[in-house]
Amino acid sequence: MHISEGVLSPAVLAGGAALAVVGTAIGLKKLDYEAIPRVAILSAAFFVASLIHVPIGPVAEHLVLNGLMGLLLGWLAVPAILIALFLQALLFQFGGLTVLGVNTVTMAGPAVICFYAYRGFLRRPGMIAGVAAFACGVTGILLSGLLVAVALISTGQAFLQVAELVLLAHIPVMIIEGIITLFVFLYLKKVRPEMLEGIYA
Amino acid sequence: MLKKSARRQLSWPALLCQALLSILILGAFTTPALAHRVIVFAYAEGGTIFTESKFVPNDPVRQGKIMVIDQKTGKQLLTGKTDDHGKFSFKIPPAAIAQKMDLDIVMQAAMGHRGSWLLKAASYVPGAAPAKTTAPAPAPASPTAPAAPGIKAANIDQQALEAALNKALERQLGPIKEMLTELTIHRTTPTDIIGGIGYILGLCGLAAYFLSKRKNNP
Repeated sequence: MHISEGVLSPAVLAGGAALAVVGTAIGLKKLDYEAIPRVAILSAAFFVASLIHVPIGPVAEHLVLNGLMGLLLGWLAVPAILIALFLQALLFQFGGLTVLGVNTVTMAGPAVICFYAYRGFLRRPGMIAGVAAFACGVTGILLSGLLVAVALISTGQAFLQVAELVLLAHIPVMIIEGIITLFVFLYLKKVRPEMLEGIYA
Repeated sequence: MLKKSARRQLSWPALLCQALLSILILGAFTTPALAHRVIVFAYAEGGTIFTESKFVPNDPVRQGKIMVIDQKTGKQLLTGKTDDHGKFSFKIPPAAIAQKMDLDIVMQAAMGHRGSWLLKAASYVPGAAPAKTTAPAPAPASPTAPAAPGIKAANIDQQALEAALNKALERQLGPIKEMLTELTIHRTTPTDIIGGIGYILGLCGLAAYFLSKRKNNP
């Protein structure tokens, strides 16, 4: 999911960086005192999740958890993901500093979209909320994969090859993330409903 | 109302501790199986350069594209595909030896993963310096007729010896070279993971500090 350094064209890098700055500014503006620990916990979870392999499928992928972050954080997911990606680039050499903007957009963008797309359903009682939580996890990865493909294609890589790989590689991760998001959502709803205040706000 | 807000304030640190603990445990369990970065390394043996590419920690890059680039001019010398063990080897191009190019070996795997390895000319152009010193050696040996064949024979012997030595050394040093290249690869350590989580905690504290100040003095 992390695009490496030296792959994308300068135009794509600059566009990604600009979008990331705007998103982070919006996120920081919405950040209040109560939300800080939520943001920190999920940032740490995202930071570690990339170390967990999903060894199924043609290209071994790792967890991203951006659907879950969108569900719990909304716009706040952007600064949370930016910080985690920065530390991953620094400490793990995943991605890189020049691609930080693009990687933030490809992972945090879907989180924000998921938040607004599923917020209404997540408030409903029973089955509907559960299905929405699962769909939230799946959609997060799906959209991220699509954004990675768009970034690569706009830099000039062959369309079919990229699209095929991105779709195939992410199917197992999509399902696993959907399940994780579903269980985390159900658990929090029962045990710590205050963690979910983002979707009720 | 008061009671509710008190409860929330109490649950704050408890929640943080619980979550961090579970993240740390998760991190501890996953340290051996680390994820996604492409590394490529290369070394020369005989007239061939061997490359090996993997996703960190140990998955070979199958059918990844290797590009060999002259670092100075940026000219692409050749491309190739890795086999199912992530390996790809090629004969050293004569042009590269002649111009002593530093080779930039770039691995481009699927979905924007990329890694590169710089192979310095000194590490694959064999015995460039000794070859020059042996060439002019026979010239001063010409005046005395009987001595000439002896020196020539010695020269040839020396060359053969050197070639044999080079061969033996290469065979012996091959595994060491491979080990050294393995060692230069940065792998994620538990220190990195805990350090990163520490940074996030620190930033959380910073943000909380500034926001709490703003709250107190509106």
